[in-house]
Amino acid sequence: MRDQQSKFMRASHVLMLFFLVAALILSAIGAGLGDAFYIRLGTEALIFAGIGLSVDLLLGFTGVLSLGQALYFGIGAYASALVLLRVPSFWLALVVAGSASFVASIFGGLIANRVRGVYFTLISLGLAQVAAKIVYNTRELGASDGIIGVPVVQVDLGLLSVSSDDPLGFFLLVLAIVVALYTILSYVLETPFGRILIALKANERRVPFLGYSVWGARMAAYVLAGVVAGLLGALDPMLRGFVSPELMSFMTSGNAVVSVLLGGVGTLVGAIYGSVFLVLLKSVIGSWSEHHQIVVGSMFMMVVLVLPRGVIGVIHPWLRTLLSRLPPSLDRPGSPVREVES
Amino acid sequence: MGFADYIQFVLAPQIINGLALGTAVVLVALGLTIIFGLLDVINMSHGEFYAIGAFGAFGLSAAGLNFWISLALIPILMVPFAVVVERLLIRRVFDGDGRHVSTLLLTFGLSLVLEDLLKVVFGPNTHSVAAPVSGAIDVFGVTVPTYRLLLIGLGAALVSGIALLIYRTRFGAVVRAAAFDRHMSASLGVPVGLVYAATFALGVALAGIAGVLLAPLYSVFPTMGRDFILLAFSVVIVGGMGSILGAVIAGLALTQIQALASLVISPVWADPIVFGAMVLVLTFRPRGLFERLGHA
Repeated sequence: MRDQQSKFMRASHVLMLFFLVAALILSAIGAGLGDAFYIRLGTEALIFAGIGLSVDLLLGFTGVLSLGQALYFGIGAYASALVLLRVPSFWLALVVAGSASFVASIFGGLIANRVRGVYFTLISLGLAQVAAKIVYNTRELGASDGIIGVPVVQVDLGLLSVSSDDPLGFFLLVLAIVVALYTILSYVLETPFGRILIALKANERRVPFLGYSVWGARMAAYVLAGVVAGLLGALDPMLRGFVSPELMSFMTSGNAVVSVLLGGVGTLVGAIYGSVFLVLLKSVIGSWSEHHQIVVGSMFMMVVLVLPRGVIGVIHPWLRTLLSRLPPSLDRPGSPVREVES
Repeated sequence: MGFADYIQFVLAPQIINGLALGTAVVLVALGLTIIFGLLDVINMSHGEFYAIGAFGAFGLSAAGLNFWISLALIPILMVPFAVVVERLLIRRVFDGDGRHVSTLLLTFGLSLVLEDLLKVVFGPNTHSVAAPVSGAIDVFGVTVPTYRLLLIGLGAALVSGIALLIYRTRFGAVVRAAAFDRHMSASLGVPVGLVYAATFALGVALAGIAGVLLAPLYSVFPTMGRDFILLAFSVVIVGGMGSILGAVIAGLALTQIQALASLVISPVWADPIVFGAMVLVLTFRPRGLFERLGHA
C-alpha cells in the first residue's frame, strides 16, 4: 500500500541518497587533499544531526516540540565517556549509552507526557535544564569542566578496524550510523505504529476512538527519540575527546530545533541537511566573530517568518511531483498501488 | 543555638530573602502569564526583557541618574520596544497554523539575539548596581535589609495595581474579553490588535521593572535572563498558564521552597526540588492550580 505519507517520504529517500553520495565524494576529495579539519567538522555535523532526527521525530511526526532533546544526547555522551575511560570498547560504549538514554527517556517521558502542547515543550526544557545543572555541580562527573581525556578508541568492525582519531574512517563510520538510523526511523514510520504517530499529529483526540492508546504511542515515540539522540551522543566524546555540561544545555537543544526548521520539519532528511548547514555556518562565523548567537538567533527568526517549511520543504514538493511522473515500472514491483489522495 | 534563635537568625532572614526574590519572580511571571493568557504566546525572550531592565538600571546609574528615576523610566522605555517586537515578529505568525510553536521559536530566536547584543554592548562580565537605600531595619528582632523590605513593598503594590487594572477597570474588562473570545470581542468593537500590543507591552514593562528592582540585589550579566526564566516558567506552569492569582501564589510558594530547601541541603539541589514540586503539581493538576485569564 502506498499512501500520501509513503510518497512524501520517497522524496526524502532520494534526498538522503543524494546526501550520502555527496558526503562520500566530498570526504574522498577532502582525504585526497589531506584535509582533517573539514572532515572532522563534517563528522561533528553528522553527530549533531542525531539530535535533529530526534527533534524531527517528535515535532514533524507526532507534533510535539521538545526543547530538551540535548538531555538524551548529553546522557549518551557522558555514558560513553565514562565507559571509554575504563574499557576502550566502542560497542560497549554504544550499548551503555543507548541503554542509559533508554532508561532516562522512560523517566523523562513519564514526566513530560503527562502534559501536552506548550506544557510539554516547557517541561522538556525544564528537565534538560535541571539535569544540566545537576551535572554541572557533580564533581564525580567533572562538574563544569566536564570529563576530559577520553582515549582514542579502536572500532572493531569484524573485517576491518577504524580508529576514532582517523578523520576519514571515523567520518565514514558516523555517516553509516546516521544513514542506518535514518533508514530505521523511516521504516518505523512506515509501520502501523508509525502511522499512529502521524495520526497523533493530525488529530490526537480521534486516535483513541480508533482503539489506539495515545499515551503509549507518545511514550514510544519519546523513548525512540531519546535513544536516537543518545546513540549519536555516544559518538561525540570519541570525536572530541571530552564531554562538558554544555552538551545538555539549552543552546544544544535550540540548535537542533533550528537545524530541523532550517532543513524542513517532518522530512527526517531535513534534520541532517540543516545540521550540516548550521555547523558549517557557525564554524565560518566563529572564525571571524565570537558572537555567532546573533546570527543563529536571526536565522531562527528568519526561518520562522520567511521559510516556515525549511529549505528541503521547498525542494520536497517539487521532487514529489517529479517522482510521481516516473514510469510505473520504476515503482515498487509487485506491490498493489493504491492511491490515497488527501 | 535555641529554637527561638534559629527562627530569629536563620529561618526568618531566609524567608525574607525568599520573599524578596519571590516578589521579582512574581513580577516576571505575571508578565509571562498575562501575555500567554491573552495572546496565547509563550514568550521565550521574557528573560532577556528582564535582563534588559537590569542592564538599563546599570546603564542609567552609570550615567549618573537616580535609581528611582530609572525605575520609572525603564518600563516606559520598554514599551515602544515591546510594541515593535509585537508588530514585527509576533503579529506576522499570529494567525498562521501552529501559533504556539512558531511564536515560541520566534521569541526563542529573539532571546538569543538580545542576549548576544547585551554581551556586545556591555561585555560578558558581571556588573553591579548600588542600592538606593542602605542599612537595615529591625522588625520584631529580625534584622531586615531596608532595600529588601522596600522591594517587597513595592512589588506587592505593583501586583495589586495590576490586579486592579485587570479586574476593576474598563481596560482590564476589554483584555479579559479579548482573552475569552477575540472574534466576539472584535465584533463588539474592541480594537483587539491594539489591546494585544498594549498587553504585550505591559508584560514586557513588568519584566523590565523586575530587572531594575533585582539589579541591586544580584549581579547584572548578559545571561541572567536565561537563569531566571526557568523559575518564572515553573511558576507560570504551576500557577496555571494565564492565571494572575496563580502566578502570585505559585511564585511566592516556589521561591519559599527554594529558600527553605537551601537551608537543609546544598543550594545546588534547590532547582531540582523546585522542578520536582512543579512535576508534583502537574501530576494532580495538569493545567496548573488556577484557571486561565478570561475564563475565571
